[in-house]
Amino acid sequence: MSVGIIEGFRRRTRLPGERVSLTAEGVSVLRGGRPVLSGVDLTIEPGEVLALVGPNGAGKSTLLAALCGDVEFTGDVRVDGLPLAEWKPVELAMRRAILTQTHSVSFSFSVEEIVRMGRAPWIGTPLEDEDDEAVYAALEDADVSRFVGRPFPRLSGGEQARVALARVLAQRTPVVLLDEPTAALDVRHQELVFAVTRGLAARGRSIVAVVHDLGLAAAHADRVAVLSDGGLTACGAPEDVLTADLLSEVYGHPIEVIEHPRTGRPLVLPLR
Amino acid sequence: MTLQEDMTREGHTVPAKTPGKPDVSGKKGRGRRVTLLVALGVALPVLILVAAGSGQVDIPPGQVLGSVLHRLGIPIGDLPTAAQGENALWIVRIPRVLMAAVTGAALGCAGALMQGVFGNPLAEPGVIGVSSGAAVGAAAVITFGLTGLGNWTVVAAAFVCGLLTTLAVYAMARANGRTEVVTLLLTGIAVNAVAGAALGLLMFLSSNDALRSITSWQLGSLAGSTWDAVYVVGPIAVVGCLVAIALGRRLDLLALGERTARHLGVNVERLRFTGIVVIALLTSAAVAFSGIISFVGLVIPHLVRMAVGPGHRVLLPASALGGACLLVVADLVARTAVPYQELPLGVLTAVVGGPFFFWLLRRTRARSGGWG
Amino acid sequence: MTGARARRVLSVALVCALAAGCGGRPAAEHAGKAAGGGDCGPATVTGLPDDVDPITPEPKPKLPVTVTGADGEKTTVTDTSRILALNMYGSLAEIVFSLGLGGHVVGRDASTVFASAKDLPLVTTHGHDLSAEAILGLDPTVVLADASIGPAEAITQIRAAGIPVVMVDDEQTLPAVTEHIADVAEALGVPDAGAKLAARVTDGIAEARRTAPEGREPTIAFLYVRGTAGVYLIGGDGAGSDAMIEAIGARDAGSAIGLKGFRPLTSEGLINAAPDVILVMSSGLESVGGVDGLLKLPGVAQTPAGENRRVIDADDGSLLNFGARTGDTIAALAHAVYETCKA
Repeated sequence: MSVGIIEGFRRRTRLPGERVSLTAEGVSVLRGGRPVLSGVDLTIEPGEVLALVGPNGAGKSTLLAALCGDVEFTGDVRVDGLPLAEWKPVELAMRRAILTQTHSVSFSFSVEEIVRMGRAPWIGTPLEDEDDEAVYAALEDADVSRFVGRPFPRLSGGEQARVALARVLAQRTPVVLLDEPTAALDVRHQELVFAVTRGLAARGRSIVAVVHDLGLAAAHADRVAVLSDGGLTACGAPEDVLTADLLSEVYGHPIEVIEHPRTGRPLVLPLR
Repeated sequence: MTLQEDMTREGHTVPAKTPGKPDVSGKKGRGRRVTLLVALGVALPVLILVAAGSGQVDIPPGQVLGSVLHRLGIPIGDLPTAAQGENALWIVRIPRVLMAAVTGAALGCAGALMQGVFGNPLAEPGVIGVSSGAAVGAAAVITFGLTGLGNWTVVAAAFVCGLLTTLAVYAMARANGRTEVVTLLLTGIAVNAVAGAALGLLMFLSSNDALRSITSWQLGSLAGSTWDAVYVVGPIAVVGCLVAIALGRRLDLLALGERTARHLGVNVERLRFTGIVVIALLTSAAVAFSGIISFVGLVIPHLVRMAVGPGHRVLLPASALGGACLLVVADLVARTAVPYQELPLGVLTAVVGGPFFFWLLRRTRARSGGWG
Repeated sequence: MTGARARRVLSVALVCALAAGCGGRPAAEHAGKAAGGGDCGPATVTGLPDDVDPITPEPKPKLPVTVTGADGEKTTVTDTSRILALNMYGSLAEIVFSLGLGGHVVGRDASTVFASAKDLPLVTTHGHDLSAEAILGLDPTVVLADASIGPAEAITQIRAAGIPVVMVDDEQTLPAVTEHIADVAEALGVPDAGAKLAARVTDGIAEARRTAPEGREPTIAFLYVRGTAGVYLIGGDGAGSDAMIEAIGARDAGSAIGLKGFRPLTSEGLINAAPDVILVMSSGLESVGGVDGLLKLPGVAQTPAGENRRVIDADDGSLLNFGARTGDTIAALAHAVYETCKA
C-alpha cells in the first residue's frame, strides 16, 4: 500500500542493479582514543557467504557498523563505487540490509507488521508490487509464519531474532550483513539461518555474517575473515584460514582442526 | 517462491520447518482500524452538537441544529427560543465547543507524535518543556501587564516561549549529530525545573489580580474562548495533524530503533526535528489559549493503541479525533457538572484520566504483555 | 495598573529586606500609649449593616444616556429595566441598590451577599470570573463592571451580543467612593439620586472620622492570613486597608514601613512596624486558629499588639468594600478600635 502522494516528492532515487559491490579500504575506527579497528581492507564478493570471526573485542561488530556508516571511521567504504556519504539513506537501504545484534521494538507491533517494515525502502518504486510476496516468503524462510499476528514483545528471544531476520530477508537487497544471527537460536534454527544464507548466495547475493561459532563458519561459509585486535589476520577459504596454528594464536587457546569425514570441511574444536 | 522450496527443488538439504499456516491477520486489523476512525469521525460532530446544546442558557440540540441550518441558508428546524439564545449560542457556546475540539485534537496528536518520535510510551509534550516554557511566557506578560498586542499578547508570548524552549531543549540534548532519547528527556526535566522556578518568581512578583490569572490559567480553562481563538488554533491544529500523519510510516520504522530505522532509509535527524517542531507548534497553540491541560496527550494515544495497535498512520488521526472528543466532553462536564461553578479543565482531565489509565493498563498488560 | 508596580515592588522589597535587618524603633516604646492599643484583648467589629439602605423615593431614570467608561468606550444605555452590576468587591451592586434601583437588578456577583440581593442568581464562577453564558441567559439590558473582574473576553462577548457594558473605575480609595457612585448613577440615568447618595456617604465618612480620638493615633497593621500554608500578607499603601485605617485616624503600619499593596511580610518587618493593633478578616482569623493561632505566627507575639492580644477581626464582605456603606463600616471599625479599649 503506497502513500504515494507525499512520499512521491522524492528526488530521483537510483535503483540498484542485480549485483552491488561493497568494499572497505584502510578502515580504522577509534573509540575513546583506543583503536578498535586498524587498517582493514575487505571486499565483499557477490554470490558468497563471508563469515567474520574473531575473539571478543576483535572489532567484528565495529567493522560491520563501519560498513553501514554507523560509526565514525577513517579510510574508505564504497558501495557500488561511491563513498557512503554520496548515497541517500534510502538508496543505501535498497542496496544493503543489516541485522543488528539487539532487536528491541518500542511499541507492540505484530510480527507481520515488523517484517513488512523491511519493505519500506521500496515504497514508491516498481518493486513495491512484490511486497506481499516478499513478506510471505520471508516469514516462511525464517520459520516464523505461525507468529504472524502475535505482538513482537511477547516472543522469546530466539523467536524475536528470527523475526528480525525475516525482516531483513523481506528487504531483498543484493548485500546482506548479519551481526551474530545465530546467537540466540537453537541448533535447528542455526542451521536454518545458514541454509537461507546459502540459498541467497546461490542467487548471487552477498552475505556477511559475524559468527562466534567457528563450527558454523567452517561448515557454511565460502570465505572466512579472521579479525584479531582490530586487524584482519586472514581472509580466504575456510580450509586455508581455519588452521590450528592461526586459531590457537588468535584465540589464545589451543585449538585443533580436523577434517569432517563426510563433507571434508574443517571441524574446529578446542583442545581438551 | 520461498527459498526453502527453491532449494529443495535444487536438491539442497533444508531443515524441516515447523508446520503451520501463516494467518493473514492484516485484513482483520485493517477492518478494525477503519471502524475506529469512522466511529470517531461520526462521534465528534455528534458530541459537538450535544455539547453546544448544553449550558446555562436552555438551548436543546434540536434548536442548535436549527440555528446552524438557518445560518447556512437552509430554513429547517427551530431557532433558539431562550432570551439572547442565538447570541449565547454563536458568541459564547459554539466558539467554546469548537475550541475544545481543536485544542483536544492538537493535544491528542501532539502526544501520539511525541511518543513516536521518542520511542517512549510515557513521552508527553509537558515532559520536553513546551508547556512550562509557554507558561513562563504567559505569566511574564500577565505579571508585567504587557499589552503590546492587546488581548493577543499573552497568547503570542506563550507561543514564542514554548517554541524557543523546545528548540533549546533539542539543541542541548544533541551530541555528535544524534539525539539520544534519554538525554532529551533528562534535559526536559531540567528545563521544567528552571521554568518552574521562573514561574514561581513571577508569581511572587505579581499583584493579587495577576496571581489569580496565572493560577487559573495554570489549571486550564476554555472559558472566554472566542472565534478569534478558534481561527488561530483551528488551522494550526489541522496543518499540524496533517504533517504529523505524513510522518506516520517513518515513525513506525523509528520504533525499530534509530540505527535500524536509518538502515531502512529513514533520515532520523530530520524526522525527529520535524516531529519536535510540530509537537511544539500544536502544544503551544493549545496551551497558549487554554492554559495547561494535562493527560490528553498521554491517555488518548494509549487507548487508541490498545484498540487497534501502534501503527502511526492510524494512531495519529485517531488520537486527534479522540482528543477532540475527550476535550469536548470534559469541557461539557467542567461547565455543567456544578451549577454556577466551573471545574478547572486541566484538573478534571487529570483526575479522571489518571485512574482510568491505570485500570486500562492493568487490563492490557495481561493481554499483550507490555506497553500496548 | 499592575505594570510598573511590580518593578517598583521588587526594588522596594529589596530595600525593605535590607532595612528590616538594620535597626528600627524599639518595639516597647509605643506600648500602651496609643489609643485603642493597650491590654484590652481582642475585639470583633460589629454593627456592620447587613443590608443596604436605599435612598427613597425610587428614582426615575432619564434615558437614553451616553457615557464614556473607564476603558474609554462610549456606551449608550437605553433601558435600565434589567441591570447587572458585577465586580470583585460587590461594591457596584451595593451602589445600585443604595440608589434605590435594586428592584431592577437580575443577578449578582459572589461578593454581593447582603440580604436584599443574596437570592439573586449568581453569574460568576470561581467567585470572580464572569460567565458570559450565565449573563446572557439573564437577558440584561445594561451591565456595569470594572477591571477587577474578568476575563476580558467575557466582556467582549457580552458587548458582541448587543448588551451595553459600562466599565467603572476600580480604584480602592475613600475619595473614589463618591466618584464611583457618580459614575454608576450617570450610567443608569439617575444623576440626582447619585449626588444625594454621594452626599450621604461623604457625611457618614466625615462623621466616622470625628470619633477618632485626637493625638494618640495608634499604628494598625492589616494582615491577610489564610490557614496554615504560611500565606501571610500585610496591607500597605494603596491596598485599600490603608485607606480604612487612615479613615479612622490611625496610622497604617504597612505604609509606614514603605510597602505598597499586599506584600508577603517577614517577621522582622512586622516587629519593626510595631503595630498597636492587628486587624484581620474574621474568616482568616478562624483559619489560623483564632487569636492564639495568630500569635503563634512568627513575629506577631513580639509586637505591642501581640503582647496585648489586641487583635480586631472584621467580616470579610464589608471591610474593603468601598461601596455605599463605607461610612457605616468606618464607624463600626472606629468603635471596635477605640470604644472597646478606652485607655
